[in-house]
Amino acid sequence: MHHALRTARSAVRTLAPAALLALAAPACERARYIETGSPEGIISVGEVDMQDILRASSGMLESLIETGVLKTAKNKPAELVIDQVVNDTSSRFSVDELTYRMREQLVNSGQAAVVTTYGQTPEDKTAQDLLRRQAFLKGERASQMPDPDFSLSGKITQVKRSAGDTKQVSYTFRLTLTNIRTGLESWTKTVSMTKVGNKPAVGF
Amino acid sequence: MTTARTNVPNSLRVAAAAAVASALAAGCGSVNTTYTRDRPADTAVDARTRVNDLLQQIFLSAKEVRMFRNSQGVMEVQVDVENNGFKYRSFSYLFDWVDARGNVIPSQLSVWKTTNVPDGGSTVIRAVAPNEEAADFRLQIRRSD
Repeated sequence: MHHALRTARSAVRTLAPAALLALAAPACERARYIETGSPEGIISVGEVDMQDILRASSGMLESLIETGVLKTAKNKPAELVIDQVVNDTSSRFSVDELTYRMREQLVNSGQAAVVTTYGQTPEDKTAQDLLRRQAFLKGERASQMPDPDFSLSGKITQVKRSAGDTKQVSYTFRLTLTNIRTGLESWTKTVSMTKVGNKPAVGF
Repeated sequence: MTTARTNVPNSLRVAAAAAVASALAAGCGSVNTTYTRDRPADTAVDARTRVNDLLQQIFLSAKEVRMFRNSQGVMEVQVDVENNGFKYRSFSYLFDWVDARGNVIPSQLSVWKTTNVPDGGSTVIRAVAPNEEAADFRLQIRRSD
């Protein structure tokens, strides 16, 4: 009887610390795939998240389509040059995440064509060199080179505020389409999002 | 003259104080909404009941669902969402567009977006179709709070 009691006490002494450790340890979450831009993803207060970029590109595209500005171009489909989109936030990410999504939608649906052989620093230098060579060999003038309608430029900015431990950040994505022939702004759009909290969280 | 004190148990007093505090807290940030229009919009569609069923699962309601071709000939949908409860609600939504044959049109416009509705308040969730081929929409909603 005494022996059984001693064994039980000893087992409790051994298992109790282990149980406490198990309770104190952070919940283990196995890596898994989630849909890109899904609300299940991590939400950070001081960073631009993928959800923010997808939301911004969707808002920009909706505005471009509903205003019909691309239909006003001389070329059909409208020819675009992608100029600088400046990331003026403390969050490090490539603005290509935004512009390539927009390009994919506009180019693949036939609503616009992106000129990758334009200017002093073209996106595709090889294609530009070949195009110039062909034009030279055929005796064509510069007018045979791509003649874009619009230039797309923009900026991403942030406004940070805090109260005690709580932080608040507003990110504003702004894009502008400039008519290259007139030099005037043909379209502009801002998409903003504000996040508040004191630490990153996993959405659900 | 002595004042007669009612013999209320302490636990009841604490419960009453908690109830009052909770009622006051619920009033913080609540919104009151009114509408001047008393008839359905010309562009209202009869999907309201189905959308409402969806929203009621997260304690919200759909007041009206409108779908129309905008000035560029592209479909646009707007859903008036109301929060008639006593709690601030956050939710995410995703509109997919389908063509006349019922096939989903894949696009970069169909992404999850998150919005909030304070208690007593309302919001409008909207989406623009990616092209003229879109004829109808599919809506997904999930809680985010």
